[in-house]
Parts: sequence; C-alpha cells; structure tokens
Amino acid sequence: MRFIRAIPLLFFCLAVGATAAGEPAAPELSSLHGKVVYLDFWASWCAPCRQSFPWMNELQKRYADRGLTVIAVNVDHERADAEKFLRKLPPAFQIRFDPDGDLARRFDVHGMPTSVVLDRSGKARYTHIGFRNADAAQYEQQIQQLLAEH
Amino acid sequence: MKPRFIALCLMGALCLAGTVLCTACSSLGVKPWQRDLLSRRDMQPGGSRLDDAIDEHMYFSKEASSGGRSFGGGGCGCN
Amino acid sequence: MQLESGGVNLRGKLIAASCALLGSAPVAHAQTHDVVDTINRALADWQLDGAVAYYHENGRIQAVEPVINAGHELANGGQLDFNFTFDALSGSSPNGALTSRQVQTFASPSAKSFAQARHLYTTGSGSLPVDPNYSDARVAGGAGWTVPLSRLMRATLGGKFSYEDDFYSATVSAGLERDFNDKNTTVSVGVNSENDFLQPIGGAPAPRSDYTLFEKGGHETKHGLGVLAGVTQVMSRNWITLANVSVDRFSGYLNDPYKIVSIVDASGSPAGYVYENRPDSRTRRSVYWENRVGWAQGSVTADARYMTDNWGIRSETAELRLRWWLPGRDQYLEPSARWYRQNAADFFHPWIADSAPVPADLSADFRLAAFHALTYGFKYGCKLTDHLGRFGRDTTEFNIRLEYYEQSLRGNPAAPAASSGLDLYPKLQAFLLQVGFSY
Repeated sequence: MRFIRAIPLLFFCLAVGATAAGEPAAPELSSLHGKVVYLDFWASWCAPCRQSFPWMNELQKRYADRGLTVIAVNVDHERADAEKFLRKLPPAFQIRFDPDGDLARRFDVHGMPTSVVLDRSGKARYTHIGFRNADAAQYEQQIQQLLAEH
Repeated sequence: MKPRFIALCLMGALCLAGTVLCTACSSLGVKPWQRDLLSRRDMQPGGSRLDDAIDEHMYFSKEASSGGRSFGGGGCGCN
Repeated sequence: MQLESGGVNLRGKLIAASCALLGSAPVAHAQTHDVVDTINRALADWQLDGAVAYYHENGRIQAVEPVINAGHELANGGQLDFNFTFDALSGSSPNGALTSRQVQTFASPSAKSFAQARHLYTTGSGSLPVDPNYSDARVAGGAGWTVPLSRLMRATLGGKFSYEDDFYSATVSAGLERDFNDKNTTVSVGVNSENDFLQPIGGAPAPRSDYTLFEKGGHETKHGLGVLAGVTQVMSRNWITLANVSVDRFSGYLNDPYKIVSIVDASGSPAGYVYENRPDSRTRRSVYWENRVGWAQGSVTADARYMTDNWGIRSETAELRLRWWLPGRDQYLEPSARWYRQNAADFFHPWIADSAPVPADLSADFRLAAFHALTYGFKYGCKLTDHLGRFGRDTTEFNIRLEYYEQSLRGNPAAPAASSGLDLYPKLQAFLLQVGFSY
C-alpha cells in the first residue's frame, strides 16, 4: 500500500521533472493519464533483464494502441553501461534514467528487476520481483485485464 | 577438541551471529539496485571456480589441508 | 574451438548486421535468423569455461589437466552445473624412504619380489628416494543442481566421481541456502558423503609390515562425512564478506599404499623399511573467511583459512588476489599470492631407529611434514566480447595463468648420524601454466 502513497508523490515529481533542466527521472504526467503503465526497473548488470527486454518490446508493440505504455527505468551507476546494454537490446519503449535510485526507492524496489503495473487511474495494481520467461504469460494476462478496465 | 580451536569457533560463531543480527538494522548491505559491482564475476564468491578447482587439486596432492571453502550468496541478487 | 572459427568466418556479415542495429531510436525489428543467432540463442542460458593446465615439479611430477565447466540456467530459475576433468601424471614420486649415502634399491608397486629386475629401481648416494616410473591417469566429473524453493531459498544437490586405475571415489552432497535482508545476507548449510574404493597396484600392503616380505593383497575402502555452514554478507556496494565453518571425518583405510618408512641402525644407515600406517580415522575442522572489495577498475580478494585435525596437524592459509582492469576494460591483469603453513602430523617419522619398536602409526610422507609454502601467480585475461562479432558475450574471454609454487620443509626431525649433512627435506618447486577460454 506504500505504492498508493507514492503515486501522488510520483505525479508531483513528474511535474517537477518535466520542467527541470537535464534528464527528468519520471515520465511526463500528461502522457501517462488514462494509460496502463508497465514500469520496469532494470540495470545493465541484471541478467534476467536480457530476457525481459525482448518480451517488453513485444508487449509494447502488441498493446500500444490499446493504451499500454512500457517505461523502463534504468538504475545503473554509469550511464555508459546502460547505453551499452541498449545497443545490444534496442528498446521499442521509453527509457528513463534513475542513477541515484530515487524512483526505485519511491517504488520500494526489493529485487532486480522489479516491475510495477499501474492502471489507467495511476494506481499500482501489481508488483513483480524478478523476471522469468515462464511467468510472462501471467503478466500479460494481468495487463490485458487492466487494459479492459476503463 | 583443542581449546584454541573451540575459542576460534566461538569467535567465528559470534561474528556470524552478530553480522546477521546487525543486518536486521539494515545498516549493513545495499539496496537491490546498487549491486552493479557485486554482480561482476570477480566479485562473486565462487567466481573463479575453475582456477580454484585446479589449484585445489595441486594443493590437495602436496599438502595436508584441503577444502573448507564454499560459496553461496553475493552476486547481482537478481530474481 | 568449433564455435570460434564459425564466428570468424561470419565476421563481415555480423559487423554489417550489428552496425544496422546501432542507434538510440527505438526500432521495432525482426531478428535475422542466421546461424550465429541460433547458436547464441541455444547457448543463451549456458556458461562454459574450459582450460588446460600444465603442472611441472622440479625433477618430479608433471601433469597435464584439461578441465571443462558448464553451467545452465533453468527456466524455473534453477541451475545445473557440470564439470569434467582428465589428468595424466608422470614422473618421480618420493616413496618415503630416507635419503642416505648408501645406494638403495627398491621394488615398484607391481613387483612381487626383488628377483624381478625390471621392477626394481635404484636411488644413488645422497639422493631423495623416488619411484621414477610413477604414472597415473585420472578422470573426474561432477554435477550440481540448484533448485529454487522460493525467491529467497534454494536447495542444492550434487555428486562427483573420480576414477584412476587404483582408486575410485564417489561423493554426494546436499545443501540449503536462505537469503535475508533483501539478499544482503545469505546463510548456507551443506553435508557431503564420500566413498572411496582403493585397489592399489600389487595389492594393499599389510600396514607396518617388512617391505622385503611383499605382504600385499586385496583392496581397501574409506568413507568420509562432512558438514559445512556459512554466511555471506554484503557490507557495502564495494565489499562482500563470507565466513564458513566446516567439519569432516574420514574413516577406513587412510594410508598411502605405496609409501614406506626407513629403519636405521645405530650408525644411522638404512637397515630396512616398513610400510606406513596412519590412524583409521581423521577428523578435521576448519574456519574460512573471505573478503572481496571491488571498484570500477578492479577488485581485491583476501581470504584466510585455519584448519586443525586429530592427527596433530594445524595449518594456516592466507591468499591475496588483485584484479586490475586495464583502461578500456577489455583486458585484466591478476597477480596473486598465497602463504601456507602446516606443522607435522603426530605420527610423522621420516625414519625410525631399529632399536625401538615400530610405532603403531607412522608415515614419512612429506604431505604430513612441517613446512611452509608460497605461491606467486599471475593471470592475464582478455574479453573477446567485441572481437567475435555478434558471437561475443559479456563473459567471452581468453585467459592465461602462470603460478609458481614453492614448499620449504622446516622444523622436521634431524638426520640420523650417517645421513647428517644430506638434504633430507629438499625444497619442492613447481610451476603451473594454464590457458583458458570462457564463453
């Protein structure tokens, strides 16, 4: 339930972040509203992320027109490491950089990778710690269910 | 059992227990997203398994002690 | 090395393909189904490490040892590990007899009497008695299975075997690991059971029996049980520490069937030999502590082990290893050093006097003597990630390692009169050269 408390904070930061000079750590408010958001925390050193990226690519492609936005938040210390990873696994979704872990802390990340699924009203409905291809089907079902909601 | 060894074992056990208890205060350790260096192979206990196995074979055939090492934990902590 | 040549042949095509994928704009694309992709995908969950090591002791043993390790990540998060090694040894091995000014004649393990000249060997005056025809081939392998019981707990099951023409060994092991504090702390426990079957060449000699009587025959067994408990703790982003305590107990036939002990007369000259005998059980306890500290350009590993047993042996080991990444993070240098010291077993007797009864337990095996040993090592590694086109992974690497090992025996019983002035405990010097490849 900490996630619910985090959401207003997140939206506040979105507003601040959008206007701040330099790299915003949070996605823009306007593009999120009404969309189902799959927020994924990843790092270049996280081996399961090499499997989650191709799957998230498919996910974004398949459900973009139904209102899904995949945002992958990178927590690498060095931006260069993240960029090296992205060259090998080019993303079809948005990437944000959170090197100090502020967003990770706000979403109470307890493992890598962690994905938080927000519904159309911005409420965090599911949190997954870790990623396995075997679980992908179940995650997709959850997203379909949230997309069906209005 | 030699007293010196018992003393060492007790010290070891106290250190281990103390470590585990201290970590409950979460002052020791890192956040899950701060494990970049720890995920490197040279930073993982057991990261040099092949070299260690070859060395162990050499030392086992020349010395009276062997083993005692084992690995668990560390790494990127993923999944 | 099939894979490597495949990568080189397709290099041009791969570079063109990977260049097309560069760029920061998100691109929806279809994967090209070329051979490299198929191989990469098939091996995506595998980690392969292989090496060939060459070991050479000054004037004694040499060995060649290829090793391969394969790790496979399972879909459920578990892990399968396999390893396989083969080694061929040859050279001269000390037989336990004392260096003497007299010329000494010995019989090979396969000899049935001193009448068969082709099975005899002679040691010159002042030389360490060694069996010059020592040769052995060994095949060993193992497998391990890590089963995730939950996100924070794992069970491990393992087995390994070793096979030589005079020795077979099989070990099974089981363990449990549990993470705490967001995986900053890991506690593990394990047990293992080993069963060894010895079939010495020429048969197992009757312990403490007269060497010249050839009282040999039959096979022997020994059994070991061990437990281990450990804690791994992440101290900071840069530092991880780990501590283990382990106890093991071996019982059964613990002798070296080929080793003898010299009996010397009043003047100190060899008057005969007896086969060694060791207690039929050995309990060992050890404490191990390891630390790894890392930063962007490298890491340091420092570990120490203290071991004691009920044979009176105490040993201390300390190791230091430095990993230094060269600028560009493609290559690394890794110097290392190890210091080791042990004291002699209670029943270590490099020789016994014929005036006294033969002790219940006795051995002249230098492995049980008092000595300290130093190892200096240097390793060079080169990541091949960017040199094999799309074939290279983060873990693809070539490495080469050289180690120098030196053992100095000190604090052991002095020579009997007739052998005084002779070097009874020659320094052992050996080097290890290893070439490896990881994928």
